[in-house]
Parts: sequence; structure tokens; C-alpha cells
Amino acid sequence: MRTVFEFVNVVSRSSSSVIVTGETGTGKEMIANLLHYRSARRDAPFVATSCALFSETLIETELFGHERGAFTGAIRDKAGRFELAQGGTLFLDDIDDVPLSVQVKLLRALQNREIERVGGTRTIPIDVRIITGTKRDLKQMVGEGRFREDLYFRLNVLSMVLPPLRERRDDIPDLVRHFVAKYARTRGVPVPELSPVVQQALQRYQWPGNVRELENVCERLVQTCTCGTVRIGCIAASVLFAAPPKADAVSVAFPQPTRPVSLDDRLRAVESNMIAWALKVADGNKSKAAELLNIKRSTLGDRIIRCGLADTQPSRNNDPQPAH
Amino acid sequence: MVSRDRVESVLDRIRPLMQADGGDIELLDVQGNSAKVRLTGMCAGCPSAHMTLYMGIEIVLREEIAEFEELQVV
Repeated sequence: MRTVFEFVNVVSRSSSSVIVTGETGTGKEMIANLLHYRSARRDAPFVATSCALFSETLIETELFGHERGAFTGAIRDKAGRFELAQGGTLFLDDIDDVPLSVQVKLLRALQNREIERVGGTRTIPIDVRIITGTKRDLKQMVGEGRFREDLYFRLNVLSMVLPPLRERRDDIPDLVRHFVAKYARTRGVPVPELSPVVQQALQRYQWPGNVRELENVCERLVQTCTCGTVRIGCIAASVLFAAPPKADAVSVAFPQPTRPVSLDDRLRAVESNMIAWALKVADGNKSKAAELLNIKRSTLGDRIIRCGLADTQPSRNNDPQPAH
Repeated sequence: MVSRDRVESVLDRIRPLMQADGGDIELLDVQGNSAKVRLTGMCAGCPSAHMTLYMGIEIVLREEIAEFEELQVV
């Protein structure tokens, strides 16, 4: 994240296009905002819009504006986002949701630095810095034919990638402190303390909604805390009892980084789990179980003995099962 | 019919978390497919905690025990 901010400092002075890639809630718009207010354009408008908000036809009028009478309901002229951002920065979020037909028009606008309103004949010159936000990898979309290559190259002068929160867990305590203090201030209450269990739970959680989700959870903590210390009772149940990241049959939970583990023991545990599962599914029929595991019947016999599963009755209630 | 042992074994998985924060959960009664519990310790008097833990524990119980119906926090 520090790299990101250093990069912002370096590139904010330029007027080149930037693509900000990051999952939902990682702060794409915040970075765009920062880029604008650090740039020479800071006194001109910063206009942000999400391209996912509008249907295909609406995006066009939204971006380029329309003339009075261009279509039913167009009762007056309307300036598009490009015009509104004249001299400043236009942040187009969710650019990956823009349909191919509009991509052509975007490309034209960027290439020629001029736009035409829908239903208009006048060409309007534009001087706008374009920052785009995307949650998908645009390059990959280009490869799949879902994003125009020429537009991609036009937008992709500078590229930034924002890491998801789960990949920068070290920042969680600071972020929590910041948001808790912020919401305590708004609510006019003393900043509550967080019990160690709560801190651990926040640290462990996967944060699919990233910083946005973290902020909401902190707001909730401050709102629900009645005793001055946030204990587990105050965290949203979804965070507290969240299932750990789904592991398939092969991958097992990673051990604590500080404790050594025996790889052989881990592998044997996986092996015996799988065998027990196959035996259960096959109702104890070893030939069927061997088929399920794609190994020879004789191999299965050997492995059963090696894992000490020889006495396993398939009817046992709490047979271990591989996680799905 | 859900057995008391099954409910208790699910609660045992949640307990360490609560105990670490000075709270606990006590299984009072299991009737049919429903259970009655009481929160004790630190979070016992807090209405927010009641709501959260009630929802959370019920979700976990339903996940673990398919036929589980209702959790009552008293």
C-alpha cells in the first residue's frame, strides 16, 4: 500500500490516463480523488461516475450528454460527465462493465479529445484527465475479446493495483483504530476499547468487501457497544462466525507461521480423510471406493492399513469427511 | 428430535471464543428441534450482544444440524 501512495505522488502531477485495478471496497475512488487533488487540476472539477449504474443507452447520455429533443423525454440540453469535468479529472468506475458499443465511442472521445452530445452535431473539445476503475483484469478481458484492445492501450498509460485487505492484514489494526475513532467522534461517545478476542476475529476474517466492509463493521461496533469495551457480542455475527476460507479436499488449513508442522502427518491426515470419505460413500465397498479415488483396489488396501483405518466401519456416524 | 449432546457439541465449538472474552453460554433445555440457552458473564446484560449472539449461534446450529429449528435466548 505504501508503494501505491508513493506511486500516487509520482504520477499525480501528470495528466496521463490511469487504470486503477482493485476488488470492490479497496479504495479505487479514493485513489482517484487523491490523484486529482494532488494534481495541477485540483481547482477544476473532479467528476466520478460508475459505468455499472446505467443501461447501455443511458451510459452514452450520461457520459456525453444530449441535446434537447434528441429522444423522448430529452426536454432540455444536458451536459455529459465529460463536459462537467472540463479541465479536471473524470473518474470512470467499473469500466469493465461498459459494453463494447460504448467502448468505441469512448475511444473516439479520448483519441480526438472531443465529444458530441447525443443528437447533437456540435463537436465539443474536451480537456479531461481520465482515471478508470476496474475490478477485473482488463488485459485478460482484452484477451477474451470483451474489452477493446485499442481502448485498453489508450487508458493504460499508468496502471495501479490496489491489494485486497486480506493481503495486507497488518494494516487492519490501524484501519480499525481509525474508523472506530471516527465513528465514536460522530456519535459523540468516548472511543471504545476492543477486547483481544474481537481484535483477533477482525484479523482473521476474510473481508470480501475489503476496507468498505471494515468501515461498516467499525461503525456497527461503535453503534452497538453499550459498555465501553467492544466484546464479541458486538461484532456482526457474519464476521464472528464466518466460515474459514473454503478449502477443497486437497488444500488444508495453513498452520500458524510460528509453529513447525510435519508435512508427512498433514499428508496422512488428508489421505485418511479422503479414504474414509470414499469408503463411506461406497458403503464400505472397497472396490467402489478405490474407483472413486482413482486408485487400484490393492493400493487402497495398502493405504487403509498404512493410515490405520483398517477398523473403520463405514457406518460410523462421525466419519471424517473432506471439506467441500 | 435433536439430541442435547449434538447441540452441546456445537456450542462447545463456539464456547472458547466467548469464554476468552469473559462470557459463556449455558444450554438450558432442548425440546424437539429447538433449544433454549442463556448468556452468562460479560455479555449477559448487553442487548446488542443478545441480538448478535442469538443470530450467530442460531446460524451455526442450523448449519451443523440440518433439522434444527429455533434458538431461544432467555
